[in-house]
Amino acid sequence: MQTLFNGIITGVIMTLPALAVTLLFGVLKFPNFAVGAMMTVAAYLAFALNAQLGLPLLVASVVAAVAMGFACIAIDQVTFKPLRERGAITLMVASLGLGFILENIARFAYGNTARSFELELARPFRFFDIRMNKEQMITIAVATAAMLLMWMLLTRLPIGRAMRAVADNAELALVRGIESARIIRWTWFITGILLGVGGVLVGMDRALEPPMGSNYLISVFAAAILGGLGSPLGAFAGALLIGIVSELSTLVMAPNYRIGVPLVAIAIILIFRPQGLFGQPYIRK
Amino acid sequence: MISFLVLLSIVVCFSAILALALNFQWGLGGMVNFGLTGFYALGAYSAALLMLKAGANTFVATLGAIAVVAVVCGVVALVTLRVAEEDYFAIVTLGVGEMLRLVVLNEDWLTKGALGLTGIPRPLGDVVPPEQYQYFLLGLALALLLGVLAFLTVIQRSPFGRVVRAVREDDVVAATLGKNVLWARVRIFAIGGGIIGLAGSLHSFYYQYIDPTQFTNIVIAYTFMAVIAGGRGAHRGAILGAAAVMVLLEGSRFLKDAIPALDSDQLAAIRIILIGAGLIALLIWRPQGFLREYRLKVSP
Repeated sequence: MQTLFNGIITGVIMTLPALAVTLLFGVLKFPNFAVGAMMTVAAYLAFALNAQLGLPLLVASVVAAVAMGFACIAIDQVTFKPLRERGAITLMVASLGLGFILENIARFAYGNTARSFELELARPFRFFDIRMNKEQMITIAVATAAMLLMWMLLTRLPIGRAMRAVADNAELALVRGIESARIIRWTWFITGILLGVGGVLVGMDRALEPPMGSNYLISVFAAAILGGLGSPLGAFAGALLIGIVSELSTLVMAPNYRIGVPLVAIAIILIFRPQGLFGQPYIRK
Repeated sequence: MISFLVLLSIVVCFSAILALALNFQWGLGGMVNFGLTGFYALGAYSAALLMLKAGANTFVATLGAIAVVAVVCGVVALVTLRVAEEDYFAIVTLGVGEMLRLVVLNEDWLTKGALGLTGIPRPLGDVVPPEQYQYFLLGLALALLLGVLAFLTVIQRSPFGRVVRAVREDDVVAATLGKNVLWARVRIFAIGGGIIGLAGSLHSFYYQYIDPTQFTNIVIAYTFMAVIAGGRGAHRGAILGAAAVMVLLEGSRFLKDAIPALDSDQLAAIRIILIGAGLIALLIWRPQGFLREYRLKVSP
């Protein structure tokens, strides 16, 4: 039971970056390999505001997430915009390079030592047999709230509908007067916020160190693929599933190979259901 | 100083061989390999283990390393590409690379984990006198580099080379013309993998000691940078790119003397930041690189 619960926590943490990957893939049509490093940078930003300037973690996280949102827009303008027409492979390679840069900015500033946020220690709560600490409760609450907000945004607000329209068919969206440059900016902003919050949650769950974000990269991609790249609901379900299965796998095999689970998951999905659980079947033109 | 230059040249040779492998897989074949570091480590460890555990001589160990990496790469390509698109392939290679690094780090009984493997024999180590050994190794590395270059040039100009490029440009057209795209891609990836295995075994001969910290993602970064700088698809460009990148990379070690305030972690971080930035800058401003891909000319 405890393992199952830990799995849910891991999965919940991954929902945010998985959603970010899937949104970006939907609109820009390339998998962004820098998401891990973006989470790392945001987490360190929150750490700087929280542990060094003494702000409460909540304030620090909000500031860091919004800052990451704007940073993502800026990053897009500098790196990805000039490459937009060059195809997915070029964009992937650029995002890999970007990931190296961001992760090492964090390493340059704070070194390789693990750090943690300033949080009051509290005794873990107990529900039946499950031990649950304060950070985990915050994680669940924050991630659930973020998912609900995202769902509202995507289905209720004009900008969310426009994003889905661009993701579905960019040219058709253009015909209907949706300005894609603006949608792309919004997508990056939302991505940045999701990654910022996700980074803080990862930092709270484990510790802050430069590879903290990229350690999740494969799992996050697996979650997004499992849910069907481009499908927000799928990313949510995929992340939970991957998280739970990864944690449960530690019962039967060495915990060091947890990363094998998402990898095997990717292989299985690609063989049996390439479009993912909730994705549209991909039609080749 | 001479000794430093010789050692630098040897390192340039490894990275040039690695760059040639990536240039074949990605530059000519259009197959992104983000698991390069893992495959490189696999090559180095296969060679070392074949010698230390199985008692093979250096020649057999090198062949073994080439075969192991080629087979693993081929299987990865076969399983993934049977069903998926390029985007997925990149993710899978990244994952497989990570997995290989984890195996190296955690299977203590085989790889001694973080301690690393020591006492790796060298080719003709007891024949060539130690003072001259570095020159011998440089000659060997150069010969192998030229060999790989010649091999890839022959492939590139063969009918199979045309299939490789056709698959990169448009796999649907290639398939329509009756080419087996999947099989071509498996072969492309396996050939590149074999070359990575060769580079890996040279790595273990050179250092005589391998541990997981030698195989970090900076390998991916500088190899991609070398291929992009040299011009995707141009073999000689890849070698030139690798030389330029390695000279810059090794030269940046002297930064430590110039700016004493930085510790070694920070210095390593700066080097990777510079490589990443250089990679993106090249993609934006000079995506064609410095040399052109070989084209068959019909008339002089």
